[in-house]
Amino acid sequence: MPSSTDGWTHAARATAHLVAFRARTVRRRAPAAVGLVVVLLLTVGFAWGPATVETDALASAPVERAIGTLQGNLGTALAGFLLLAVSAAMGAGGGRELLSRSEASIHPIGPVTEHLGALVLAPLNLAWLVQVWGLLAITALVTPPARLVGAQLVVLAWVLAATAVGQAVGWSVEGVRRTAHGVLVVRVGAGLVVAALAGLHLGGWLVPLVRALPTTWVAEAGQDSRWPLAVVALLALAGAAVVLGARPATWALGLPPREELDVQSGVHEARPVPAPRRGSPDRALLRRLDRGSVWRSVGMRRGLLVLGVGPGLVALVAGLEWSSVMLLPGLTASGAALLFGVNTWCLDGKGMVWRETLPVSAADVFDVRALVVAECMVAVSGVTVVLALLRNGLPPLVTGTAVAACWLVVVVQVLAIVLTWSMRSPYAVDLASPRATPAPHGAMAGYAGRLSLVTTLTAVLFTGVAALPWPWLPPLVAVPFLAWSSRRLVRARRCWLASDERARVVLTVAAV
Amino acid sequence: MSQTPAVVVRGLHVRFGDVEAVSGVDLSADHGRATALLGRNGAGKSTTMKVLAGVVPPTAGVVTVGGHDAATDALGVKRVVGYCPDVGGLVPRATPWEHLQLSARLRRMDDWEERGRDLLERFELGDVAHRVVGGFSHGMGRRLSVVLAALHEPAVLLLDEPFDGVDPRGVEATLEVVADARARGACVLLSTHLRDLALEACGDAIVLRGGNRVAAMQAVELTGEAYRALLD
Repeated sequence: MPSSTDGWTHAARATAHLVAFRARTVRRRAPAAVGLVVVLLLTVGFAWGPATVETDALASAPVERAIGTLQGNLGTALAGFLLLAVSAAMGAGGGRELLSRSEASIHPIGPVTEHLGALVLAPLNLAWLVQVWGLLAITALVTPPARLVGAQLVVLAWVLAATAVGQAVGWSVEGVRRTAHGVLVVRVGAGLVVAALAGLHLGGWLVPLVRALPTTWVAEAGQDSRWPLAVVALLALAGAAVVLGARPATWALGLPPREELDVQSGVHEARPVPAPRRGSPDRALLRRLDRGSVWRSVGMRRGLLVLGVGPGLVALVAGLEWSSVMLLPGLTASGAALLFGVNTWCLDGKGMVWRETLPVSAADVFDVRALVVAECMVAVSGVTVVLALLRNGLPPLVTGTAVAACWLVVVVQVLAIVLTWSMRSPYAVDLASPRATPAPHGAMAGYAGRLSLVTTLTAVLFTGVAALPWPWLPPLVAVPFLAWSSRRLVRARRCWLASDERARVVLTVAAV
Repeated sequence: MSQTPAVVVRGLHVRFGDVEAVSGVDLSADHGRATALLGRNGAGKSTTMKVLAGVVPPTAGVVTVGGHDAATDALGVKRVVGYCPDVGGLVPRATPWEHLQLSARLRRMDDWEERGRDLLERFELGDVAHRVVGGFSHGMGRRLSVVLAALHEPAVLLLDEPFDGVDPRGVEATLEVVADARARGACVLLSTHLRDLALEACGDAIVLRGGNRVAAMQAVELTGEAYRALLD
């Protein structure tokens, strides 16, 4: 009988094989290599660049205050990273998969391999990378140059430890979710945690509580001679979390995926053909089918719910200014598009071939799919805006027009971009599992980076425009953006209408 | 008086990038006849079927289905064809009834429910008519694909590997669908690796090899030895 050491050795080897396999199957190697180099350069840049800023030369009260605030909040930022690691693993049904369930089913891939694979894939997440870069940059800015290396090693050790702990918690939650009534337990539990955090914040107790966490000690230890102790302790924690995380992973993956099975065996009674007041019943029926494909997927439903409510609650509870709220529609719309929109035709899976035999115009099919993607983006970003509205009340006219114009622009922008990608790079994907992604992990990281960059820059521009006293300016600024995105959208539509291009997409998505 | 064949294919070429999946197939199939398309893996059977179903445009050649040119009138082709694809062919999070409803609505069928129910019962899918197909077994998916192809009583019925993974009752039901289609004057093209079932269902046989047609004959003439010789 193999020992546990044999098990770990085998799992590590199997993980290495799977990572190598995935690396070999990357379609566009040159852009992937460039992306990797850019990420590494950015990481080095964030870890070292801010340390070269001569803050003494800037010596002014606001700068000193800002640096002091950052230094005081470094521990809080470390705690925030742990929260992200936990929520990312929970949202991904325990963790991402190196091979899809159907592909993996014929191979002897054990739960420890799945666990290690999920850990390896954790950095291929823009939110994870941005947080790491943020931690490195803050640390570089607030640490004296002589202590920079030690402080950054502490941050990196914390990143490893928090990721491993987050993964272990994610598997544990997935295990609970797969027990009888587990879905309800997790939903109620998550709701209580959110309510407790909101209550603590509104009561003014959250900040003192977070400052009392051990992360404050970690942040302080990185700044002085205790950094080697902190690194050793954090690496030990990371190692323990990796080893212990295999237990909940084995437990969770040994249980049937209850929520998915409920969806697959769910009964959806027949409904009459819709009779819309406007538009054709054909398009209404296609729309209903597409909407069903979104909302009957565990992963997409969960993702849309989290994206809709999460940032909105932050806006509601933390009382974000309108200038900050302006960033959220673009980011949440991008998040919604990343659930399936970046490879939008995968919604039909292998049924794409059958759908293509139906006597309906290709234009109708494209328009309906674009509408459904847009609906999802508008819904999640709309919740954020409405909750911000509840908290802040009606904004001044110029801010209101800027928010509305920015919202419209980012939705059309993201829609045009993701439909272009869907035509250019379709993938055969089964989105039945919440651990599945609509494109390979490397591509997803690239997509997330580009969408976030574009929408954030757009929001920053509209924030600047909102500072000017002319309410007519934001809609005017929106016009060229909308014109450019509409052009891209029309181009993607034209590509879909070309029968050979459509056939290429259909056959790729259906994997036939 | 000679009737125009329901399916006419002349010099069909299909290229995917550098790969030529079909290289010069010629075939014709008549109304009221069932024709088996046979050949090894990669012979071009499924690609030819996809062209006939209006899913893949021909790279070169002439393809006419029910009087519609597949290159210029794919929508017309789709109206006259019922197609069971070789793999999958079902939207994973829709129910069988929703598949039938969409197909019937887009083909302007008014009273389709009774026929839909009857077909589902014949293929033993009545009990799962309102469950999403993502949870179906392979065989159940194949049976539903045949039901969807047959629902609107198409003039041209294309069945690509309809017996793959299907139990004996499903095979019987599929053979009945083929017989019904022939009886009402439809043209049936059936692609399969199973020679015996092909002979049972079809009167004519066409053998493809390497993207070309290598033989066309009456099905009864296609003995085991003759078939093996054509494959090599």
